[in-house]
Amino acid sequence: MNMKKWIHTLTAGQIKLGISGVISFLVFLILLAVHGMLGREQLSQQMAERWSEQKNVAQVSCFLSTNAYIDPDSVEMFRHNLDNALLEASITQDSPNESARLWADAYSAGGRITLTSDRGSIEANALGIGGDFFLFHPLQLLYGSYFTGNDLMQDYCVVDEDMAWQLFGSNNVAGMTVYIQNVPHIILGVVRRDSGKLNEAAGLDSTLVYVSYKTLSDLGTNKGINHYEIVMPNPISSYALNYVKENIGVADSDIEVVENTTRFELFNSFKRIILFGTRSMNSKAIIYPYWENVARGYEDILTAIAVFLLLFFLYPLILLIIGIITWWRLKSWTLGSVYVEIRDKAGRYTEYLREKHRGKKGSKDHMKEKEGM
Amino acid sequence: MNDQGTKRREWVKNAVIIFLTVMLLLTFFSNTIMNYSLPEVAAQYIQSGTITAKIRGTGMVESGDPYEVIISDTRIVESVSVKTGDTVVKGDALFILEDQEDETITLKEEELKKAVLAFETAILTGDISSSVWNNVQSGGSTSITTYQNKILAAEAVIEARQQKVDEIQTKINEITTSITTLKYGSADTSAEARALYNAQNAYEKKNDELTYAKNTYNALLTEYREAETYIKSYEAGSVSGNDLDSLKAQYDLAKQKLNTLPALIRDAENQVTSLQSEVYNLNIQVNNAQSALDSKTDNSGSIKNLEKEQAKWELELEEKKSLLSEAEEERTQLIKDIAAELSLNSEKDNISKLQEELAELRAKAIGAVVEAPVSGTVTSISITAGEKTGAEKTLATMQPEGKGFTLSFSVTNDQAKRLSVGTAADLVNAWRYDDIQVTLASIKPDTTDPASKKLLTFNITGSVVAGQSLSLSVGDKSSSYDMIVPNSAIREDNNGKFILVVESKSSPLGNRYVATRYDVDVVASDDTQSAITGGLYGYEFVITTSTKPVEAGQLVRLSNQ
Repeated sequence: MNMKKWIHTLTAGQIKLGISGVISFLVFLILLAVHGMLGREQLSQQMAERWSEQKNVAQVSCFLSTNAYIDPDSVEMFRHNLDNALLEASITQDSPNESARLWADAYSAGGRITLTSDRGSIEANALGIGGDFFLFHPLQLLYGSYFTGNDLMQDYCVVDEDMAWQLFGSNNVAGMTVYIQNVPHIILGVVRRDSGKLNEAAGLDSTLVYVSYKTLSDLGTNKGINHYEIVMPNPISSYALNYVKENIGVADSDIEVVENTTRFELFNSFKRIILFGTRSMNSKAIIYPYWENVARGYEDILTAIAVFLLLFFLYPLILLIIGIITWWRLKSWTLGSVYVEIRDKAGRYTEYLREKHRGKKGSKDHMKEKEGM
Repeated sequence: MNDQGTKRREWVKNAVIIFLTVMLLLTFFSNTIMNYSLPEVAAQYIQSGTITAKIRGTGMVESGDPYEVIISDTRIVESVSVKTGDTVVKGDALFILEDQEDETITLKEEELKKAVLAFETAILTGDISSSVWNNVQSGGSTSITTYQNKILAAEAVIEARQQKVDEIQTKINEITTSITTLKYGSADTSAEARALYNAQNAYEKKNDELTYAKNTYNALLTEYREAETYIKSYEAGSVSGNDLDSLKAQYDLAKQKLNTLPALIRDAENQVTSLQSEVYNLNIQVNNAQSALDSKTDNSGSIKNLEKEQAKWELELEEKKSLLSEAEEERTQLIKDIAAELSLNSEKDNISKLQEELAELRAKAIGAVVEAPVSGTVTSISITAGEKTGAEKTLATMQPEGKGFTLSFSVTNDQAKRLSVGTAADLVNAWRYDDIQVTLASIKPDTTDPASKKLLTFNITGSVVAGQSLSLSVGDKSSSYDMIVPNSAIREDNNGKFILVVESKSSPLGNRYVATRYDVDVVASDDTQSAITGGLYGYEFVITTSTKPVEAGQLVRLSNQ
C-alpha cells in the first residue's frame, strides 16, 4: 500500500526518468555480460585458463620485427634459462603426473609455401610453427590431429578446408601426402578457418597452411620467427610479462610483448579509453599475426562497449543520486522521529516475542495437566 | 468498473496461457535445446595395436662409385653427343671437339723452344771435351758404370803417381838427414871451437885497443898542426881580434904545445906500432884455431856426393809432381765431362719428349672426340657445346655398369637413435617405383652440424638413376600396446597429459554425456596414434575432436558420425 501511495505521489516525468534509469542499468548489466563473453570467446587468448585450473599462470605473447633475429636456438636458450629462473624462484612442479610441465610455449613464422598434389600446385600463406602452437591456438579440428614442434618428425602440415578441397577435392584428407618442393609432407589435420569480417580483415581472407618451422625455413620463404607465446607460472602480478620482456633478448624497438590473460578485463578496457588517439600509433616494424589482429579488433570493440558501459552506469547512478538528494530535501521526517519510530517498533517486537513465549508455555502446562489427568 | 475488471482478468488469463504454452514447449524440447548449446564431440574407443615410429627423409640418388670424364687439353666443345641418362659402352663418343689451334700446342711449342735454347747454350758455354760433344751428338748414351770405371781409372793413375812422388820425397829426406849427420856428425870439436872463440875474443880486444891508440895519435897530431898554424898566422899578423892579451896568451899556449906535443906524438906512434904487431899475431892465432877446427870437421867429399844425389832426386820429384798434377786435372775434367754429358743428354731427351708431345697434340687438334672411358650410364653432363675444356674440369660423370647407388639425408640425433644400420627402408609412394631395394648403410655425424644431426646413408639397388630424388621411410620395429588413441585425443595442461572420456549418465529426459578427465602417460607415438598408460580399463570412449573447447566435467553432445 505504501509503495502504491508512493508511486501515486510521483509525477509522470519522475516515473519516466525512473523507468529510463532502470532500463539503463539493465543495459549496463547486459553490456557487462557481453563484455565478459566476448573476452572469453578468443581461444587464442585463453591459454592460461586452459593450462591451469588454479589460475596462477599467465599467457604472454611476443610479436617480433624482422630485425629481432630470433631463431630456434635462441628460443631453446630462453627455455633453458626459464627453467633455471623458475627453480631459483622455488617454483616447481608438484603434480603427481610425471609428464606435467610448468610451462608451455610456441613460436611461429609467417611466410609463403607451395603445396603440390596430383591435382596441381597452390602457393599459399603459411605459418611455420614450433613448440606447442596448437595448444595455444585450438583451431576447430575437422579431421585428423595437430602436430607439435616436439614431434619426432617435422614433415607434417595442417590445412584448412579450402586448401584440402583445392588439393584433393575433398575435406577429409588427413593422412594424405602433399609435396613441398618435391619433399613429401603428410597432412595431419584439416581445420575450419574462422570466417567473418573481423577474421578476414585480420588475415584469414585466404587459405593458411600450418607447417613446421623447419619446413618453412627449408622449403618456403619467411623472414624468421615473428611470434613467440608462452604460458608460465605467474606467482605475482605481471611476473610472467616482466620475465619474458627482460629475458627474450630482443631490443624494445623490435618487440611488442602482451599479457593475453588480462588484456580483455574490464579495467584494461577502461585504460584503453584513456589511450584513445594514441593507441593506433605504431613505430615498430611488426606485422601482427591474424590472431593478434583479431584480438586487437576485439579490444577495440570491448573499448567501445566499455564507453557505453560507463554511460549506462553513470546515467542511473546520477539519477539515483539526484533522487536521493530530492528525497532528502523533501523528507517529512527527522532523525529524532526515526529514532522514536525505531524504538517503538523494537518495543512492539519485544512485546510480540513475549506473547509468543507465553503462548508456548501455556500450551505445555495444558498438556501436562492432561497427562496428569 | 466491472468492464475494467473483466478486461484485467482476460489479460491475466492470456498471459497464463502463453506462459504455460512456452513452458510446455521448453519442457518438450529442453533436451534438444540443451543439446544444441553443448559442444559437439567426436569420440572413439581406445584400441590395442602397434605403434611404428617412422623416420622419413628425402635425398638425391648419387652414384656409389662415380667415374668422372676429364681431358687434360684446353679445347672448345663442338657438340655433346649424349644426354644425361644415356647408356653408353666404352669407346662411344661423348663429346666432339672443335678443330682449332690448341692453346696447349702453343704452350708446348714455347716450351720446346726454351729447351732447345737451353741445350745449345749449354753446349756453347760449357767447358766440355770433344769426346763428350761427339758422344752427345751421336746420341750415344754412356752407362753410369762406364762413368764410374773412368773415374776409378783416373783415380788409380793419380794414386800411382802420388805414390811415386811420396817415394822420391822419402829418398830426398833420407839424403838430407845424411848430409846433416855428416856436417854435424859425431867428432868432438869443442876444444878447437873454444880455442877459436878465445883467439877471436883476444884479437877483437887488441884490435879495439889499436883503434883507440890510432885515434889518440891522430888527435895529438891534429892539435900540433893547429898550434903550428896559429903561430904562423900570429907572427904574420893575420889573426884578428880585439883582445890582444888573449891573442897573445893563445900564441904562448901554441908555442908551449909545439914544445910538448912532439914527445906525446912519438909515444902514441910507438904504442900504435906495438899494438899493430900484437894484432897481427893474434890474427895469426885466430887463423890457426880456425884451421885446427876445420881440419877436425872436414867431410866435404861425402857431403858433396850426397848433395849431388839430392839434387838429382829433387829434379825427379819435380817431374813426378808435374805428372801427378796432370792426372788430377784429367780426373777433374773427366768429372766435368760426365756431368755435362748427363745434363746435355737429359736436355736432349726432354727436347725429344716435347717434340713427340707436340706431334701428338697436333695430331689430336683435328677431328678429336672424347670417348666413353667405361661402359655405363651418363649421370650428369657438366659442359655444353661452345664451352672450353680444362685440365681440372669434369666434362661428364658416369655411373659405371654394375656399380650401386647411394642416397643420404640428415636427421636429428633423436631420430637417429631409433635406427640401426642394416635396416631396410621403404620408399614413400612405393607404388611409383619398381624393384628398388634400400638399406641403411651408415649413420655418421653430419659435418654441417655434427652436434645435433646425423647423416644417414642408404645403399640403393634397382631401377634408379643418379640425380633422381627419392623419399624414404625407415623405422624401428613395431611394438604392440594395449591402449592406443588418436593423437588428437591427447590433451595437456600444467597437470600433464590427459584424455577426456565420454561417460554416460541417465536422466529422466534421456542420457547425458559428460567429459571426464583421465591423466595418462604417452609411451610411444607415430604419425597418427599414441600409446598411453594410465588408470583406464581399455574400452573407454575417448574424445578426439570437438566444436568448442571441452572442460572436464562438462556435458557434451556426441556427433552423429
